[in-house]
Amino acid sequence: MKKNGFKQGVIGLNLTSMIDVVFLLLIYFMVATEFKTSEAAFAMDLPERIEQSSTLFDDEPLIILVDSAGEEIHDVRMSVLGPWDDVQTPEALRAFLYKNVADGFGKQGYFTLDHPIVIRPAKDAHWEHVLAVYNAAVHAKYTNITLDEPT
Amino acid sequence: MIRRGQASSAIHANMTPMIDVIFLLIVFFVAVSQIVDRDAVPLDLPAFEESAASEIGIEDKVIVNLISNQEGQVSQIHVRGHDVAIEDIETLHRIVTTGINGGAKEIHIRAERTAAYQYVYEVFESIQLLEGAKHVQLVIKDDAG
Repeated sequence: MKKNGFKQGVIGLNLTSMIDVVFLLLIYFMVATEFKTSEAAFAMDLPERIEQSSTLFDDEPLIILVDSAGEEIHDVRMSVLGPWDDVQTPEALRAFLYKNVADGFGKQGYFTLDHPIVIRPAKDAHWEHVLAVYNAAVHAKYTNITLDEPT
Repeated sequence: MIRRGQASSAIHANMTPMIDVIFLLIVFFVAVSQIVDRDAVPLDLPAFEESAASEIGIEDKVIVNLISNQEGQVSQIHVRGHDVAIEDIETLHRIVTTGINGGAKEIHIRAERTAAYQYVYEVFESIQLLEGAKHVQLVIKDDAG
């Protein structure tokens, strides 16, 4: 109903300015947000090589052999060279490395945290199985881990 | 021609809000293009329940993608928008060196979970020969993320 003295008006939203403000807010939050990627990474230093063949270490490295018996994560086959026959899974390796660390704060063990660990996979070993062993060593806080030539 | 008694009516597009919105769209797409990593091709990366891997930073990097078949054989490498045969070490060197000289701080190795290790090692050996390329990052899927 039209009242005396009042113009008939249509109530509407001004879309342009609304889009304007919405985009500004969107860009503000995009810039302010730190996007979390769905990927993570292990840092590794490639070893200095002498005449393309051998890698030099100050200490005798702990050598871990890795192979694959299937495609699943639990199909990893591994062994540690030396008198440690019972270390045959990444979980056992992690516990073994953790138990035998000599941290200089009273914990007695065979290895310091910078003791060289050499992972020596078979040439057909699956990349996931190689990294499962790498992950176990990183979990145990060891820092000097290298991937060796395939056997 | 304006006739007598007829009001002048010209259709005008209001340019100010249009320019406003167009500029916002440009800024939006520029911001998005900074976030989207076009070098990371979709791969079935290794994933672990209890991962000790670190988060990936936003710094400039060279991403080396090893594309393998079901038997784990890697025949092709995708790096910086180029598809390179795994035997073509010279081209791989040239692209990675260009990236490092252009300010890339890290080399990220992305390989499928079933890729055979010998091919990954070939890439290591190849990268190892380059100046200033002694640090690599081995990329996995972060299930927690």
